[in-house]
Amino acid sequence: MFLRLVADSFTRRPKRKLLTLAALALGMAVATAALSVSLDVGDRLAQEFRSLGANLLVTPEADSLPLEIGGVDYRPANAGAYLPEADLGKLKTIFWRHNIVGFAPILEAPAIFVKGGLGGGPPEPPAELQSAIHGEKITLIGTWVHHVVQIPDGTVYTTGVESTNPWWRIEGRWFAERANEVVIGNNLAKRVGLGVGSEIVLGMDSPGFDTPWPVKVVGILSSGAAEDNAIVAPLDVTQSLAGKPGQYRRLYVSALTKPEDAFGRRDPKSMTQEEFDRWYCSPYISSIALQISQELKGTDVRVIRRVAEGEGTILIRVRMLLWLVTFAALLAAALAVGASAAASVIERRTEIGLMKALGAGSALVGVLLAAEQLLVAFVGGGIGYAVGIVLARLMGQKIFGFTPEPKLFLLFVVLVLASLITLLGSAYPLRRASQYDPAPILRGE
Amino acid sequence: MSDSPMFWRIVRRLITANYGRLFVILLALGAGAAITSALLNLQIDAKRRLTTEFRALGANVIVTPRDANANSSGGTLDQSLLTGLSAENSGKPVPAVAFLYVIGAVAKAGEIHHQPAVIAGTAGQGLTQVRPGRRTEYSADLESDPAACEVGAKAAAQFKVRAGDSLNLRNQGREATCKVFAVVATGGAEDTQIFTKLATAQTLANLPGRISLVQLSVTGTPDAINRFISALSQRLPTADVHGIKQLAEAEGKLYNRISGLLSITVIIVLLLTSLCVMAGMSNVAIERKNDVGLMKAIGGSVRRVVRLFLAEAILMGIVGGLIGSAFGIVGSIWLGKAVFGVAARPRWIVYPVSVGITILVSIASAFPLRRLASVRPASVFRGEA
Repeated sequence: MFLRLVADSFTRRPKRKLLTLAALALGMAVATAALSVSLDVGDRLAQEFRSLGANLLVTPEADSLPLEIGGVDYRPANAGAYLPEADLGKLKTIFWRHNIVGFAPILEAPAIFVKGGLGGGPPEPPAELQSAIHGEKITLIGTWVHHVVQIPDGTVYTTGVESTNPWWRIEGRWFAERANEVVIGNNLAKRVGLGVGSEIVLGMDSPGFDTPWPVKVVGILSSGAAEDNAIVAPLDVTQSLAGKPGQYRRLYVSALTKPEDAFGRRDPKSMTQEEFDRWYCSPYISSIALQISQELKGTDVRVIRRVAEGEGTILIRVRMLLWLVTFAALLAAALAVGASAAASVIERRTEIGLMKALGAGSALVGVLLAAEQLLVAFVGGGIGYAVGIVLARLMGQKIFGFTPEPKLFLLFVVLVLASLITLLGSAYPLRRASQYDPAPILRGE
Repeated sequence: MSDSPMFWRIVRRLITANYGRLFVILLALGAGAAITSALLNLQIDAKRRLTTEFRALGANVIVTPRDANANSSGGTLDQSLLTGLSAENSGKPVPAVAFLYVIGAVAKAGEIHHQPAVIAGTAGQGLTQVRPGRRTEYSADLESDPAACEVGAKAAAQFKVRAGDSLNLRNQGREATCKVFAVVATGGAEDTQIFTKLATAQTLANLPGRISLVQLSVTGTPDAINRFISALSQRLPTADVHGIKQLAEAEGKLYNRISGLLSITVIIVLLLTSLCVMAGMSNVAIERKNDVGLMKAIGGSVRRVVRLFLAEAILMGIVGGLIGSAFGIVGSIWLGKAVFGVAARPRWIVYPVSVGITILVSIASAFPLRRLASVRPASVFRGEA
């Protein structure tokens, strides 16, 4: 009989129930869409922030002080310490290895070059090259582009300067590894009149250099910084030119991190073992820095503060903003659904009066109406979830070009939410209704 | 209209007849209005705030000598450029710092062995804004010292100095001392530099009145920053003004993404909220069947009945909208404080817009009443659904 009463109230007046259902479904669709975007967007935004480039810088620990102005190191080539390139695979063995999205070693060397090739003859230094005065003095930057790194666990990982300096634009193409190809900065190219396809001869800007190196220009680089006046070459070529085989001087690492909170900013030395473990196992920039310095011996890993901190504050703010919007959406949905539920109880006073006149107790009437509302909540919540997921996909694709995975636990959250809201919305009118005195109602008063 | 007083009397009675219903309607409409106004206000404010937050990334515009790159050793600018540059951007002074770089020999005061290091003389407002980092040591008392200097973390470790120690600076026979007031870690080249007063570096370099470059931290949307750059480069024909590409590109991309995300989320939330309020309200409206039946039975024309209910809906919309939007704007001020630490500035355009939206929603919710025009009084009185 109970079930029949519930079922009847649906089949007899489908339009009314449909409206309540629509309000609920819409409310829950907002909730689902907002929740699933909020849940996914943090990771997504963190990835977007990698367009700022590297956030960690690795340098030799026992280095002499670099004399760097505007991105150019004025130290002589033989000064300062170097790091072994062979160790770099270890970067992908740290605890947060999957958060390392790219790295590139840099070896800079002062060099000179002259235009023109060596011709077909034997590699003999052209006359101009013999006197450094006639050659253009430039900085030669050796680095990786699409370099395949051997990871100690047997796998390989491809990375390079494009992931640590994503704002670098190349006209033409990047050089190939081990090839005698270079990319030159756009200012330099303009100044000396070089273009893609030109041939130049490189040499070291040090007394008695005797290894002229004919190379081909395959691309023009624009970086908006010091590299615009430099020549970028494969790391291995630079190493052999500079006489530093297998070595580099600086390493840029781009890592996905969790914005630093008060805990992340604490000094790990002052932590208890338990706190330290929690800190070590959180992808804070500082804990990733520590893990890198543990793997790469003899290095000093520094956090590039402007990138790391700018990223942190903005990420936290945007995330809070999104949660706020989500919360606002939930609130609006709750109030509208509550109003709808309340209205549907208010209008059923006659029905309630009749039931009570026929001998139903206040509790039974309450349970009956609540069961009805719950049924509506479940159906409405389910529909809302489905609509919300579609909406979230559309939003995700529009903004980030990704589709958030539908999360099943959200369905659960939404259903619980829908039930709570409808029950809360109808609680007061239900209580009133169950206290009605049947006689005046039936008389129509 | 001759029966105008009667019309309003009925409207008044319609509204006040059932306080429970009145409350429910106002709650739904008011909540919708509050959320509309709060989100709209917060969204406008957040986009503006976001551009400010980006300045945590430091300097984004740089002024260099036009031909500095052609010949990396030479090329300086005149110091007067900095005073002429004291530019304003939307009413706020732009942090601008002039740098002069010298490679000198440095040692802790009292030690003989000097090591080469980059000495950066600085002048101007907002060094910490153009060069964001963390000061691991800082003494405000020493900062006012005329010979105060700040040392990068790597350099401080190299020369074994702390705040309060003195450094001896040398370049080609010229000498100066400075007192360390702070140690700064930026993670960049600044970690290895020593920041002195501009005059100190100029003396050391024997370049009085010259500077190497000026760094500025310009707040604004990517377009606004580009406009600032082109305006500035017209005013400074001798210098090359350009944005730092790393930041310009990333900022532009991030700004578009985040503001797009906010706009879309807010629009969808507002749309669904309106629909939701509408559905809830329609539910309330359908309940008026009996009233309609009665009115028609005593001779009310369909048009007049609909007009009655429309008047009621508009009134409700105005009241709910006025109250709710006011709450929403006050709420958004507080929310702005919670998110950005700075109270959101209320924008008055938001108020009428959100009240208007609420009235529209309210009218649209009364739409099902049109269908009540077909209600047959007799069947209503018989109690048929």
